[in-house]
Amino acid sequence: MTANGISARMTGGGVGARLYSIVMRQKAFVAIIVMLAVMLFQPKHFYTAYNLLDMLNSTSILLILSFGVTLTIIAGGCDLSIGGILVVSGILSIKLQDFMPMGLAIVAAIFFGVVVGFVNGFLSVHQRTEPFIITLGMGLLLTGVAQQLTDAHPVPAKNPAFMMIGNGDFHGVPNLVIIMLVCFALALWLMRYTQFGRNLYAIGGDYEVARYSGIPVIRTKWLAFVISGGGAALAGVLLSAKLNTGSSIYGDLTALVVNCGVVVGGTSFAGGIGGIPQSALGLLVFGMLDNVMNMLAIESYYQVLLKGLVIVAIIWLDCFAQKRKREFV
Amino acid sequence: MGEVAIRMRGNAVTRAAQSFFRDYLVLVMITALVAVTAIVEPKFLNPRNLINIMRQFGPLMMVSLGMTFVIIGGFIDLSVAGIINLVAVVTISLIGPLGQVPALLAGLVLGAACGALNAAAILTSGALTQAEALFLTFGMSTVFSALALLYSGGMTMHFWDIKSSKAMFETIGAGTVGPFSVSFVIFLVVLFLLWVFQTKTTEGRAISLTGGNKTAARLSGIRILRSIFVIYVVCGLMTAVGAIVLFSRITTAAPVIGAGYETNAILSVVVGGTTLKGGKGSVLRTVMGVLLVILMSNCLDLLGVSTYLQVVTKGAILILAIWLDNRKQV
Amino acid sequence: MAAGGPEVILSIKGVSKSFPGVKALDKVSIDVRRGTVHGIVGENGAGKSTLMKILSGVYQKDSGSVQFDGSLVENTTPHQSMQSGLAIIYQELNLVNTMSVGENVFLGRFKEMKGMRGTHAKARELLDSIGCKVPTTRLVSELSVSEKQMVEICKALSFSSKLIIMDEPSSSLTGEEMAELVKIIRQLKEKGISIIYISHKLDEIFQFCDIVSVMRDGHVVDTKAVTEFTRNELISKMVGRTIENEYPPRPHSVGAVVMEVRSIKTHKLHDISFKLHKGEILGLVGLVGAGRTEIVRAIYGADKARGHQVFLGGKPAAIRTPRHAKDFGIGLIPEDRKLQGLILPFSVESNISMGSIRKFSRLGFLRRALEKGIGARQVQALSIKTPSTRVAVNNLSGGNQQKVIVGRWLEISPQIFIMDEPTRGIDVGAKYEIYLLMKRIVEAGGSIILISSELPEVLNMANRVLTIFEGRITGEFHPENTPVDEIMKAALGLEGGVA
Repeated sequence: MTANGISARMTGGGVGARLYSIVMRQKAFVAIIVMLAVMLFQPKHFYTAYNLLDMLNSTSILLILSFGVTLTIIAGGCDLSIGGILVVSGILSIKLQDFMPMGLAIVAAIFFGVVVGFVNGFLSVHQRTEPFIITLGMGLLLTGVAQQLTDAHPVPAKNPAFMMIGNGDFHGVPNLVIIMLVCFALALWLMRYTQFGRNLYAIGGDYEVARYSGIPVIRTKWLAFVISGGGAALAGVLLSAKLNTGSSIYGDLTALVVNCGVVVGGTSFAGGIGGIPQSALGLLVFGMLDNVMNMLAIESYYQVLLKGLVIVAIIWLDCFAQKRKREFV
Repeated sequence: MGEVAIRMRGNAVTRAAQSFFRDYLVLVMITALVAVTAIVEPKFLNPRNLINIMRQFGPLMMVSLGMTFVIIGGFIDLSVAGIINLVAVVTISLIGPLGQVPALLAGLVLGAACGALNAAAILTSGALTQAEALFLTFGMSTVFSALALLYSGGMTMHFWDIKSSKAMFETIGAGTVGPFSVSFVIFLVVLFLLWVFQTKTTEGRAISLTGGNKTAARLSGIRILRSIFVIYVVCGLMTAVGAIVLFSRITTAAPVIGAGYETNAILSVVVGGTTLKGGKGSVLRTVMGVLLVILMSNCLDLLGVSTYLQVVTKGAILILAIWLDNRKQV
Repeated sequence: MAAGGPEVILSIKGVSKSFPGVKALDKVSIDVRRGTVHGIVGENGAGKSTLMKILSGVYQKDSGSVQFDGSLVENTTPHQSMQSGLAIIYQELNLVNTMSVGENVFLGRFKEMKGMRGTHAKARELLDSIGCKVPTTRLVSELSVSEKQMVEICKALSFSSKLIIMDEPSSSLTGEEMAELVKIIRQLKEKGISIIYISHKLDEIFQFCDIVSVMRDGHVVDTKAVTEFTRNELISKMVGRTIENEYPPRPHSVGAVVMEVRSIKTHKLHDISFKLHKGEILGLVGLVGAGRTEIVRAIYGADKARGHQVFLGGKPAAIRTPRHAKDFGIGLIPEDRKLQGLILPFSVESNISMGSIRKFSRLGFLRRALEKGIGARQVQALSIKTPSTRVAVNNLSGGNQQKVIVGRWLEISPQIFIMDEPTRGIDVGAKYEIYLLMKRIVEAGGSIILISSELPEVLNMANRVLTIFEGRITGEFHPENTPVDEIMKAALGLEGGVA
């Protein structure tokens, strides 16, 4: 009975190959360990509750963004319009308060993100256009919309209650962190315990097999984009609440950072693997990177360079890992 | 029986109409826009405006021409904005210490080197699909832009900061040769060289075949890896030319002046009719595409549309053009 | 078959199916009785896969009727087919590699199974029922082929399947694993589940099938109880008699050794070595997946196979890429002409000239006049039917498309032609023209390595044949002097090869 089949785990070379495989699979974990280790030797205030909580707080927005994006990447796509959605919905949530109560304005702003996600899904899934470039174009379009709405001046919020959402806390835990944790739990439940989530894994793992098994592939993947759009809108509203302004400048690097953060965490652009906890870990790498770089007083331009190099390295590694599986004809 | 024949004829007509719109919709739209503008805003036909349009040919044209090669080869390059940033700040800073001609050459070499780096990243990771190249070059853009920021310290350099002569660059930016601007002449020369390269050389043909079907090209003995390298180096080089024309024209180089060029370049190429699928395409079509994009901006300006809404329009047209391009059959 | 026997669970009557250029199934009729193991044998291209895909809903039949478990089957999808109790286990295995065993068994039925726990519990039950010990949480990508098949069987069982079709299940199994599979098949039979077993391995057919149908060229040649067949009879019926005037007279121009290949080793091939002579057509015969294409790709430098040696005219030749192969005078006509051989949107002229760019360029510049000459020349020489050389090659028929690729190579007159399935999907008339072409090539002193899944084709055209089985050369024959059955046996790995 034991002779039945040789598990793939048993094949492969020595220590070098094993180590490589571990690093590749747990990129985020390793990166975090490295950073934690480096900070041990720094006489600064990294390991304080204040700093750690602050780090978590500032990464919360990115984390919320990452949950929706994870859905699209697991399904084999990606969403680079999140930066644009973030900015526009943030502006909308403030501007609409001139016409309607705050709650309704927030809902409307989130609905905007849902609509954008719907369009993204239509083009990417139903029309089978390359999601990368379609969502990239959409992000660009929305940046223009944001600039138009604000005439490139930040729009201040007038409602103190709105500001409390983004800056208040509940028994010492910042509101943002609480909301982020709720989103985390929701997204995790969605991906692990619902048919929808499992179907997304199947679609990303093998589109044709999923289709043959009767899974409504188009509908399901489309919905992933809708959720991503809505999630980005929520993040935008929260960001505006935190900064108390709606500004058009935050979109640029965000989309790329979030998508790459998800990949760092162990979700490949090829689809089918990864998950919410992995994405959270991956985003924490970027969040921690920012914090660590500030603590080490690295000049801001070097920070940008480092981030860029990290992004390229991640993408390169992901492509390289796919190389093994690809049969070049 | 007759009913069936009529229905089938109707189908053929609608199919032809659909095909026409799919291939030429954007062209039709922009032509309509131009016509409307000419009517509504007669300033459009003013010679000064037309000269103004011609002047804008430089930077975007160069970058788009370079991008054309990458797309014909079956790939894409999203790092052009970063390359512009880097080449601009480096070149302008070298005019003083090294002299004009060495600085110019250094800039061109730098652009080509960036292109080579792009190709290296793609080839070493085994990423031979357009989708992977999208991500990789996008990432490279952030690196190039970061290097530009670092090198320049975030500061903008102006021509008036340069003590030594910068006459050559000033000529590039604002000089004239007869009725034409120097940049237009440069454009013509470059276009000719690229056109010859694309249509008349063996490497140009190899690139086209690689874009058409990598596998078939490889099995027929074509060096596809070399072609991939060449397209990115050419794009990097052309982008450098564009960067030089750009900062010569506005006499300053900020480390962010390349912003938006990648989307404008891709837009120009796709609007011009070169398909993103690779293989078929032409630099001449791209010239058309750039012209259309510039005309569009000009018209929208004259009609009083804000720059922000123009960004929105460009994004929408890009999406539309890509969507239609995707629907094209073989 | 006596009346009053066990019920018929699947009744296929007069099913036909055509694809552009080829008739895959021609009025096929088979009855499968409940609770039996019904074997289907036939060589490559006999129509077995097409028939199965029609049953499972991947293809739709052109005509005829299919009745399953009493109801008519019409316009079904793979999923509907599974739900109605007809399961199929493909050779390529329809599993999602990135997901676990349990999830694959219940793909798309997460809610039904009440989540992960229910999924894994029920999957565990099913795996235990067939005696498989693989943990349900293991990823499919980590399983062996045998284990993956078990998962597919569990998937079929989870739908309470009444009929399970197994398409070449044993091609990658070890002896022990095969024994396990046989045990399971017997268990399923006891439960009243019918099985259609498609295989080349005649030993298996005789071991546990009750009834066998032999297919050839899209027909069912015979259906009998397995005890009423002898092995030789089975082989003869699979191969059939070749019709002489479908092929030109065999060329006889074999001369000295022109190429020698030593020790090709890849993860699929074990130490392949052979010689090729001038003016010879060497056929490589074997089952799909035996390794024939791998061999030629290794020679051609298309795949990374190191360690082997190629000698041309006695001298060693380092061939690492297709370009090297081309420079050494070897040309390859690939298996899939549309995906690997042609640039469909490009013109006939470009597709022909792309192999000889150096010929029509001077100092790096193309000479269009010369290129036009090449295009016109080959179109004429090969009688390629096309309105003009500027037309996109996509518009040509399969046979003419193939001629374009041949023309591409003829232009540079390679010494050695490798042709991988050159007449696949081509109608009879065009096939004959390609055979004449092959004859012309070797009579002019060239050599051809021919891979074909159509046994009659190879047997009629080749001077010499190598049989390949599971990555090894199992025999060398001269078809003129050797009975077909012997060659077939070697290709099936019998008689001195691996069982």
